[in-house]
This record gives sequence, C-alpha cells and structure tokens, in this order.
Amino acid sequence: MQLLSLINFLTLNEWLVLVIFLTFIVMLFRGIPVAYALVGVSLVFIVIAMFVLDPAKDAIREYIEYDDTRISFKKLAATSGRFFGGVIKNPVLVALPMFIFMGLMLDQSGVAQRMMKSMQVLFGALRGGLALSVMLIGIILAASTGVIGASVVLLGVMGLPAMMEQNYSKPIATGTIAASGTLGILIPPSIMLVIMSDQLSISLGDLFMGALFPGLLLGALYITFIVVYGLISPASMPVPKNREPVTGKVIAEVALSVMPPMALILVVLGSIFFGFATPTEASGLGALGAMLLAIINRRLTFTVFKDVMRQTLNTSGYIVGIFIAANFFAYVLRLYGGDETIKHMIAGSFDNPYMIVVFILFIVFLLGFLLDWIEITLIIMPLVLPVVLGLELAVDGFGVVDDPQIVWFAILVAVTLQTSFLTPPVGFALFYLKGVCPPGVNLGHIYKGVIPFVLLQLMGLFIVFEFPWLVTWLPAIAYAN
Amino acid sequence: MTEKPAELTVDAVLAITDPGEVDRDQHGVLDRLMINVGNVVAWAFPLLMLAIVAQVFLRGNGYNQAWLDDAQWWIYGFAMLTAFGYAITTSSHVRVDIFHEHYSPEKKARIEVFALGWLLLPFLGVMFDTMFHYAVASVVAGEGSDSPNGLHRLYLLKASMPVLFALCCLAAYAVMIRNLRVYSAITLPRVIVAMLPMAIFMAWRLVEYVLYWGIYLTNDDIKARRIIREPIFDYALWIAIALVAALFIFGLVRNRSQAKG
Repeated sequence: MQLLSLINFLTLNEWLVLVIFLTFIVMLFRGIPVAYALVGVSLVFIVIAMFVLDPAKDAIREYIEYDDTRISFKKLAATSGRFFGGVIKNPVLVALPMFIFMGLMLDQSGVAQRMMKSMQVLFGALRGGLALSVMLIGIILAASTGVIGASVVLLGVMGLPAMMEQNYSKPIATGTIAASGTLGILIPPSIMLVIMSDQLSISLGDLFMGALFPGLLLGALYITFIVVYGLISPASMPVPKNREPVTGKVIAEVALSVMPPMALILVVLGSIFFGFATPTEASGLGALGAMLLAIINRRLTFTVFKDVMRQTLNTSGYIVGIFIAANFFAYVLRLYGGDETIKHMIAGSFDNPYMIVVFILFIVFLLGFLLDWIEITLIIMPLVLPVVLGLELAVDGFGVVDDPQIVWFAILVAVTLQTSFLTPPVGFALFYLKGVCPPGVNLGHIYKGVIPFVLLQLMGLFIVFEFPWLVTWLPAIAYAN
Repeated sequence: MTEKPAELTVDAVLAITDPGEVDRDQHGVLDRLMINVGNVVAWAFPLLMLAIVAQVFLRGNGYNQAWLDDAQWWIYGFAMLTAFGYAITTSSHVRVDIFHEHYSPEKKARIEVFALGWLLLPFLGVMFDTMFHYAVASVVAGEGSDSPNGLHRLYLLKASMPVLFALCCLAAYAVMIRNLRVYSAITLPRVIVAMLPMAIFMAWRLVEYVLYWGIYLTNDDIKARRIIREPIFDYALWIAIALVAALFIFGLVRNRSQAKG
C-alpha cells in the first residue's frame, strides 16, 4: 500500500497519457518514422484498453481512479468518418499540394540563380553586400520553399562559396544563411501556415496577412544587424578589390531578376488581400505563375515537369502521413481523456494568461530541437488550442478578425519554431547548413554565427508579443476593403 | 546524411529527381505497382491547378460552377491518399534521425521491419476494414454532394478510399519484405513474425466474415443484426490466433523438410 500512495496522486488515465507520450518519444529516438510511431502507439493503447484495462476496471478502481475508455472494435469505425471529414473533405488543405507544387516549380525556374548572379554584382561593391544579397534572396524565396532544409541548403550552396572567396568571417557568413533560410516558414505563402490554419480553425487569409509584418520585421532586423556589424567590424566583411563598376545595366539586371518572383508573390498575396481570391485559389494561381516563369526562362522540359509532379506527390505524401496519423492519435488520446489532462496541466500552470502563452511557447521551443514543424503543428497545436481559446488576452481584432488571439498565437508559435530551428546545439537549420559547408567551415563557426541571429529572433518575438496589432492590423485592413 | 554528392553546385542542389526511380533495382512487383499508380495520380496536381484557375476566372465572370469546388477537394483527397502510399514505397516519411543515421544497415532494416509490420500495417488494416464498411454504407445510400449543383456520386470517391488503403497495405508489405531481406531469408514463419499483429488482425477479420456469412446463408430466419451476437463470435479471436499459429508451424515444418530434402 505504501507504493500505491506514491502513484495515487495522478489518476490512472493521467499516468497512461504520460506513458503514451513516453512510448512515442522512445519510438521516435529509435528512428521510427513519426507517422508510423503515432499510429503504432495508438493501436497498442487501444489493444491494452480493450483487453486489459476495461475488462478489469472494477478491480483497478479499488486502487486508483480510472475512467474506462469504452473502446470496442465497432467504435473504431468512427475513425473512418474522422479520416474522411478531417483529411479528405478539407477544402482549405487543397492549398497545400498547390503551394508545394509552386515552390518546386519556382526552384526549377532558374530565378534563384539569376537573382544571385545579378545581386552579387550590384551589392558586391558594398560592405556586407553579399550577406545582404543572400538575405534578400532568402526573403523573396521564402515564398518558394517553406521547407527549412531546402531553403538553407539552397542559400548555403549559392551564397557560402562567394562569401568565402571574399574572406567574410565564417561565423557571419554561416549565421546569415541559416537565419535567412528559416524565414521561409514564417513569410507567406508558407505551407506551415496552411496547416496551422486547419489545425487552429482560423482563416488562412488572416494568417497569411498576419504573418507578413512580423516576417518583414525580422527581415529588417537582420538587415540592420548586417549593416551595423559591417560598420563596427569592417574586417569581418571585406569589400573586394577588383570590383565591377555599378552601371545602369547592372541595376536593370537586378530589377529584371527580382521582378518575376516578386510579381508572383504579389499576385498570390495581393489576390488574397484584395479579396479577389481565396487562399486556395491563390495557391492555384501561384502554381500556374511559377510554371509560366519556368516556361519563360526556358527551363521547363517535360522531364522537369514530370519530376516536379512526382516530387509534389512525395512531399504531400509525407506531410499527409503525419496528418492521417495525428488524426488517429488524437482520437485515441481523447478516449483516455488525454486532451483534458493536458488542458488542465497547461491551464493550471500559471495564473497570468500571458505566462501560459510564454510557457506554451517555451515547450514549442524545446520540441523544435527534436521535431520538425510538421509534427509540432499537427500534434501539439490541437492540444493547446482549447487552452489558448480560454485565455483572456487583450488582442485587438479591430472588430473584423475572427479569433484574433489565435491568429496572434499562431504567429508567435511560427516565430518561436524558427528560433528553435536556429538554436544550437540541435537546430535543424544548422545541421542542414553543415551538410553543404565547404571544407574549413565547421559546426563551431555556425554555432558562433547564429548567436546574434537567435538574439534578434528573440527580440522579434518580444516585439510581436508586446504589440499584437503587428499581426492583426493587416488582416483587419484586408477585410475592411 | 548519406554520402555527399560529388560537386555541390547550385544546379546540383536544385536538380530535381524522380523519387520513384531511387533504388529502383531493389523494387519488387508491388513496389512498382505503387510507383506506377503514383506516377499516374501525380497528374492530379496540374489538373487541380487547372480546376482552381478555371473556377477563379469563371466565377470572376459570373459563371460560378459549384461542381468545380467539389472537384477540387475530390482531386486533392484522392491524390493525398495515393501520396501517402507513394511515400511509404519511397521511404520518405519523416523521422528523427539524430541516432538513426549512425545505425548499421542491419539495425536500420530491423527497425524498419518493426515499424512497418507491427505499427503501420495493422493501422492500414484497421483503416481498410472500417473504410470498407464506410464506403459500402455510402454506396448503398447513393450519397451525393452537399451542394445542389455539386458533384453527385460522392460514393465513388468514398469507394476509392478502401481501395487506396489496400494499395497502401501492399506498398507497406513490399517495403517490409525488402527490409527483411537485408538480414534474413524470406520464409513464411519469418514473415508471419515480422507482421504478427497484422497477421492476427487479418485472420480475425477473416474468421468473423466467414462465420457471419456462414450463419447468414445457412439460417433463413435469422436477422442480420443478430448474427454478430451468436456465442461463437466470442471465440473468433482465439480461432484466428490458432490459425496464425498453425500457419506458422506449417511454415516451420515445410522449411525443415525442404532443408533436409
């Protein structure tokens, strides 16, 4: 009985929820794909409930509080309706494969190479010009990828050799690339925001518009930092000796190279802003636009087209895999009362509602060390949504934005995740960058290089936290039109 | 990280590849089936793009086509479930690889077999079974669209779901066999152990269906909903486990006699 009093402070359901998550984490560390681990854990605990716990519920209740799951195979049939209604019949998510298609197409259209080539000439003469070029391209291309690894690798391969040639300090060069590469998940149209809008049941248009200012704010912070740092420590970003003169032709080439992708982004975001198209429609238009760009640049062969389609299928496949699995996992977790347990745990953690938000963000930050945004948005967001909905936060929706505090919260999570992916020792962006570093650049340089950017991220996060209107103002204007 | 590409140029990083062609020499018939279905369904994305763009311009000019709205999520839904199976065959599903990337090929293969045979396959089995009943109910009811001008015959889409889940099962099975081959010969007992939960689940459903139809066809007066309450169904799971065990022993005996002969 001594032992029992030790375990009695939680109900059996709460213990089981803990065990479910622990089992899941152990499976993850063994390298089992996330989707398989999620469905596997769920099935194991369905079987345990069906054959062990529920039949013995009266015996169990003599020792510990237990609310039985009442699961049966017949009841599992509910999962088919959940699957069809949640994953398949989901008009908002139609935008997901379209934005993936658009991003892959934009990669193939050759706009990135052209921008880098022309900007190198224009900004090469400036102190810190190369770093600024990488940053600007990162911000513009943020629209195209939205997959952290892809943008960091691309920027690394494009920018790093050139920066090394100009004797940039290694930390500054690598930090710049890692930081600009992660902007992709925040700056719309980002596929992470598409999934967030589905999981948090908020308008995708609101999220896109809401993410724009915070994204640009971070971009501006980065650029200011590079310019100021160049002034303080000129040796870290030397100006090349034999530089080409900046002529009108050079400027024209930059404008010509930047215009097409900018126009594409403007079409996508503008059509949403002016209410001409829904986000789903904008995604279709964006996909078509990216394809036209590839055709104009003479990059679109039939083989490329075929491979883009198949890569879209593959990428959609692993994202939807976690979708299907998380949907099933949430069902099983609810049977055990897991959602209530977690809700009470988080809601009871602090009295101040803002501290609860900070607490959730901190957890998201820690999880970002291990998990990609796909898992975090799909597993964690639905669990914390009821908590955040119940908080009394002074977030002004200007009378037109529905659930302004959820929109604000989603953007905070996005910025937090971005910070997490940058933070040593286990940030995602850092490892992807390490994979494409030329010899002589090591992980130490990267760690050192990202520190100022992590601080800038925290500053950005703090600003968005303090001034929620940065998020809600633009969507409010868009709807007032 | 696998081995680094020979040269890291922008073009090399941006170069796009066909995911279905990776490790093609190891693909079996079922792998190729999944890949080929995927290759056809991949055309859904340009089609979806056209459907969206068409709807934007038609609506802008006052010719709203409600069926195009339905068509969009139909195409999306069908493509997404196919994509799920495609990513199983290409082993693209996301994993945490801090430790995994340092494992030996054999250990990786063992983990993969466990993940597919014990975790994923039973789930796909459950989904196939429940989606099958879901689809049958929809077909019987002749379910249509929510919108009067939408795409009717929603049951067609619903009926495709169990088919696609069955395809996912085959894809997962094929990948499991590919990984099993890395560290062991493919024999019946080994395959059964590698996918034991799925084997028991399949046997259980099989026993239940056989019993159900057996009783239904031999008793004229019994009501369909009463059949499942017959006492024999309490033993269905045990019968299924016995069947799997029998199959396992049969495989062992056959292997041994083959080894001798």
